[in-house]
Amino acid sequence: MLRFENIVKTFIQGETKTRALKGVSGSVHRGETVALCGPSGSGKSTLLNICGLLDMDYQGDLFFNNQKISKDLHLSTKIRRERIGFIFQRYNLIEAMTAFENVEYPLILSSQSKSERKQKVLSILEQVGLAGHEYKRPDQLSGGQQQRVAVARALVKRPALVIADEPTANLDTETATVVIDLMRELGATTQTTFLVATHDSRMTERCHRAIYLRDGLLVSKEIEHLEPQKFQKLTSGAKHAEHQIGMV
Amino acid sequence: MQSIKLAWYNILRNRRRSFFTILITIVATLVLLAGGGFGLYMYQGLEEESARDTGNLILTRSGYFELEEDYPLQYGISAYKDIQQQYLKDEQIKAVLPHVDFQGLISNGEKTAIFMGKGVEHGEFLAKGPFINFTDGRALSSEVESGSDPEILLASGLAKNLKVGVGDIVTLLSTTTENVMNAMDFKVKGIFSTGVPELEKRMIYTDVTSAQSLLDSDLVSSISIHLFDIKQTADKLEQIQTENTDVEVTPWWVRAFYYRDVKNLFDRIFALLGIIISLIVFLAISNTMGMTVMERTREIGTLAAMGTYRYEITRNFTLEGLMIGLIGTLSGILLTLGLIGLLNFANIEMPPPPGSTQGFPIAINFSLELTLLSSVLLTIICAVAAWLAARSGSRKPIVEALSYV
Ligand SMILES: Nc1ncnc2c1ncn2[C@@H]1O[C@H](COP(=O)(O)OP(=O)(O)OP(=O)(O)O)[C@@H](O)[C@H]1O
Ligand SMILES: [Mg+2]
Repeated sequence: MLRFENIVKTFIQGETKTRALKGVSGSVHRGETVALCGPSGSGKSTLLNICGLLDMDYQGDLFFNNQKISKDLHLSTKIRRERIGFIFQRYNLIEAMTAFENVEYPLILSSQSKSERKQKVLSILEQVGLAGHEYKRPDQLSGGQQQRVAVARALVKRPALVIADEPTANLDTETATVVIDLMRELGATTQTTFLVATHDSRMTERCHRAIYLRDGLLVSKEIEHLEPQKFQKLTSGAKHAEHQIGMV
Repeated sequence: MQSIKLAWYNILRNRRRSFFTILITIVATLVLLAGGGFGLYMYQGLEEESARDTGNLILTRSGYFELEEDYPLQYGISAYKDIQQQYLKDEQIKAVLPHVDFQGLISNGEKTAIFMGKGVEHGEFLAKGPFINFTDGRALSSEVESGSDPEILLASGLAKNLKVGVGDIVTLLSTTTENVMNAMDFKVKGIFSTGVPELEKRMIYTDVTSAQSLLDSDLVSSISIHLFDIKQTADKLEQIQTENTDVEVTPWWVRAFYYRDVKNLFDRIFALLGIIISLIVFLAISNTMGMTVMERTREIGTLAAMGTYRYEITRNFTLEGLMIGLIGTLSGILLTLGLIGLLNFANIEMPPPPGSTQGFPIAINFSLELTLLSSVLLTIICAVAAWLAARSGSRKPIVEALSYV
């Protein structure tokens, strides 16, 4: 589904150059949930931004379903609008919008009819356990609730890929577990591919596999399986994930 | 609809700031409308005064105002009584007043001076109201007893020069249309002040008939037509010009040099005021919208990440600016209407303007044109300022915007 080849990213700040990614290659298959792990500063966010088409200023190639992605802003915006969902560490809900409107927004962008939107939004909000909170604004919701709205927002348009940068870092253990499970459950039924940067071992445990980054390089080709039971439960309905990862 | 609701909620989000931004727009609207409305009120007063002074329409032989006459009444109008008869039937016409313009020498028997004279009908004093400021004596009588001297009014400077007062006799000397000198005695009926230094030492008024006999002619220089309603000037101009092809019809504004100068000056002052106010509003809104955009950087980043095009993002901010502009100008208009009502009610007097002895009540004219122009202008300025702020704000790379704290 998603393949990145030889990605090199250099930040230039005045005189100093930081090579955040030094040639990373890999792939994520359809329906897979992949954790992107590594110490702080290893380049996780940088790679996610590139895979999410938020950053077009890099060297190397990015493929979606074997199609090379151009680095044009307009085209990438269109792809993001239609096929990519985002979950952020700090929820990033639109303050002026209610929970309902926040979730509805991606559907407006993909010009769905009002009745269709309403039905989808109410249903997904119920699935994330926020029935009855539809008309609250972000400042009236707790962090966990906000992140659940964000999960709903990312998934409501059934994107092919969801990019999540440390989605649970701001949440307490209990809430984090809820959010992780939600992501997995909602994603599994729709064959959504997840790429999740995380420090959170609970998160990593629940992923099909993990990629490790260190100093801008992939350090392990290891595929980390979840225990078979859990794996079965969480991927029910999902296509069997392929156990391959590209060369470093 | 959705975006309007969103814009409204965003305006409410930072109430204090939005309030001040709106307040600036309100004040700007008020200043433009009240200032402009007061200007219009003054223009109206000046227009009426100018039209009353010269008559709404001035009938002359063509070229009268450009050509210099070789002898008195060379370009005069004949049979003025017929014209008078013809137009007095018109219900919209208040008065038809002939004038004889002439010059010559004036003497008290010992001393001689130059005069500029105007022969007028008694009706002049009725139709035009108090256009002359008498310092002594009274206006010309409607009819002079036969056998007695015709009457004359002297400007105070001239009367002082000749050392004459009301009841004294002066002699006017002028060339007739036949190019011979003629002299007539006049009895001083009144002394007046003009406020204009050049006229103060020269101006006299007498009746049309006496002026004509001094010049030995039955022509008049011009005929002024006074209308009841100044707004009908243009229509009447066309009508009379088509009916009377052998006279030239000049509307009051062509001869209203003072009015035009004043209007020119004030037009420029108001234009400048408009520009300054527009600029202030622009800067104020740019500033607040800039702050708003800055504060919402992460939100802009989020929207952009989700695939919102830049123009869609700027559109939302522009809508906010537009709404602030609309709220501000609408409230400004309401306040101006309130102020107009208050002034009507309170009846506050302005001190007399220079050259005048009477004060006039302060008032503000409400002009739909001015209101539309100002409010559309201010609203557009608000929207443009917001658009510019949002445009530069949404230029930030998404990743940078997302990590903005
Ligand atoms: N905008 C930037 N300008 C300059 N250097 C940057 C920028 N963003 C990231 N870097 C550098 O790139 C490297 C990778 O950063 P990145 O944010 O991808 O790390 P990370 O793995 O996400 O870390 P964390 O776990 O703390 O989020 C770091 O050395 C960082 O200092
Ligand atoms: Mg990071």
